[in-house]
Amino acid sequence: MINYLIAILIFVMIYAILSLGLNVQWGFTGLVNLGHVGFFAVGAYTSAILAKLGFPFLFTLAAAMLMAALFGTLLALTTLRLKEDFLAIVTLGFSEILRLFLLNEDWLTGGANGIIAIPSPIRQYIVKYYDPFYLVMLAVVLALLFLFLERLRLSPYGRMLRAIREDELVAATAGKNVFRSKVQAFTLGAALAGLAGVFYAHYLSYIAPEMFVPLVTINIWVALIAGGSGNNKGAILGAFVLMGFLESTRFLKDFIPILTGFRLAAVREILVGVFLILLMIYRQEGVLPEEKIQQRN
Amino acid sequence: MADQFLQFVLNGIVSGGILALPAIAFSLLHGILGFSNFAIGTYITAGAFIAYVANVTLKLPITITFLLTMILSGFLGVGVDQLAFRPMRQRRPLTLAIVSIGVSFILENMARFIWGNELRSYNLPVVRSMVWGGIRIGKEQLIILFVSLIFMALVQLLIKYSRLGKAMRAVADNPMLASVKGIDSEGIILRTSYLGAALTGAAGVMVGIDTAIDPTMGFKLILSIFASAILGGIGSATTAVGGAFCVGLAEEVSIIWLPATYKSAIGFGMIVLVLLFRPAGLFRRTKVI
Repeated sequence: MINYLIAILIFVMIYAILSLGLNVQWGFTGLVNLGHVGFFAVGAYTSAILAKLGFPFLFTLAAAMLMAALFGTLLALTTLRLKEDFLAIVTLGFSEILRLFLLNEDWLTGGANGIIAIPSPIRQYIVKYYDPFYLVMLAVVLALLFLFLERLRLSPYGRMLRAIREDELVAATAGKNVFRSKVQAFTLGAALAGLAGVFYAHYLSYIAPEMFVPLVTINIWVALIAGGSGNNKGAILGAFVLMGFLESTRFLKDFIPILTGFRLAAVREILVGVFLILLMIYRQEGVLPEEKIQQRN
Repeated sequence: MADQFLQFVLNGIVSGGILALPAIAFSLLHGILGFSNFAIGTYITAGAFIAYVANVTLKLPITITFLLTMILSGFLGVGVDQLAFRPMRQRRPLTLAIVSIGVSFILENMARFIWGNELRSYNLPVVRSMVWGGIRIGKEQLIILFVSLIFMALVQLLIKYSRLGKAMRAVADNPMLASVKGIDSEGIILRTSYLGAALTGAAGVMVGIDTAIDPTMGFKLILSIFASAILGGIGSATTAVGGAFCVGLAEEVSIIWLPATYKSAIGFGMIVLVLLFRPAGLFRRTKVI
């Protein structure tokens, strides 16, 4: 039971990092990204491939974040000037094409079989309590990330990102370089998704293209909006809410006998879809709405 | 080689014909409601499964199946609009686009819940393909192309000459002005939703005949549909047809050089290129719908 709880907490924290990344893009800056799972995949695969080649964990982690950031920058540079519903299409397309690539380029990604036996960092020293150790490590990373993003949110830079979200024209008139800031925010969010990918790959020690489907992106959106977009605490809370929701539906099959295999998966996805629509209609600001920032004086 | 090329061109024309119907639907809905409707892809899946029930479970002939599918798909489109989109009419387009993704997850998984993930097909009489030189043409492919061309023509006539068409153009052009002039915009939205979903449901039957039926069939086409509409310059049902044939041809002909699995990457590449270099579409036109 305790092992199960630890595993769930690890997944919650990975989702929390993803949700914080999306929060930088959507919550702070108002940038649409329906391809978040793509950056997650770039991080996971980059780190896994390098680790299999024998590179140390900190190196693969940095490389994976850089690679995800690079993809983010390229996508942002080419498409951020588009109208936002086109941006939605292009980002979704990016993650789907990336998945096709992962599925077909066996020489690099192992194709549909994915990559197995990804080494876990310093596992040889901590054999017995590895999962609790991983949980603590992830919690520290998440805490540091949270503090960093809170600083960012309250800084003049964070204020500028919010200004861009509210009214680009006003931000530009105030002398801010709107396009550059948008590219930076998008890149940061992508790098964070890459970071989440690293922890995901090295925890599971196995990754495959089927793990990186658009459903993951939708889950993260649901988490962020349910928690409260624009609010870092909300982004983390949302990951807990969503995972709680998904994990509790797992037990539905104990009560309803016909819910087995693909049926259970289908019901869970239907519930996520319904949840998303209801949130959008009735409570777009989430459980923890964005905090108003008081001006001193 | 030349034969092979012609074969791919022919396949491309047929898949362009199929793509044209959802591309028209996407453009009409975008014109009237102003957002990118991701649920269009899953209306294809829904149409294909409605037809599966009619044709395989109820053993109806394919012509009746086809008509019944269009009628019922239309109601599905209206139902989705009323339940999911109507409460959010005044919200920003992106919010609605995200809601439409939620809708498509729900519909796709309802199909998965009932029929599972395996590939299915209709109960059709087996017909020998015609062979000319090295080119094979299935009789079904010809019928599909013929029927989709008829629908394209009918939609053109409807938009150009009917009262409904004129009202649709008015709402797409300027909703405020249209309502001042006494056009009932909710009524127009209902009819457009019906028409769009009916056309897309028809395309679903065609995709099911041409390839196979499974819950992911529609969402897999979403990039190609968007590519068609964007190539056509979004919002124009006429040029969306042109866009659809371009995308269909490019995707099929690409198989000569690229593995077939990368087909949908072609649509994506076209979206990016067009949005970057010709955001108004390939065929310069300013008319709405």
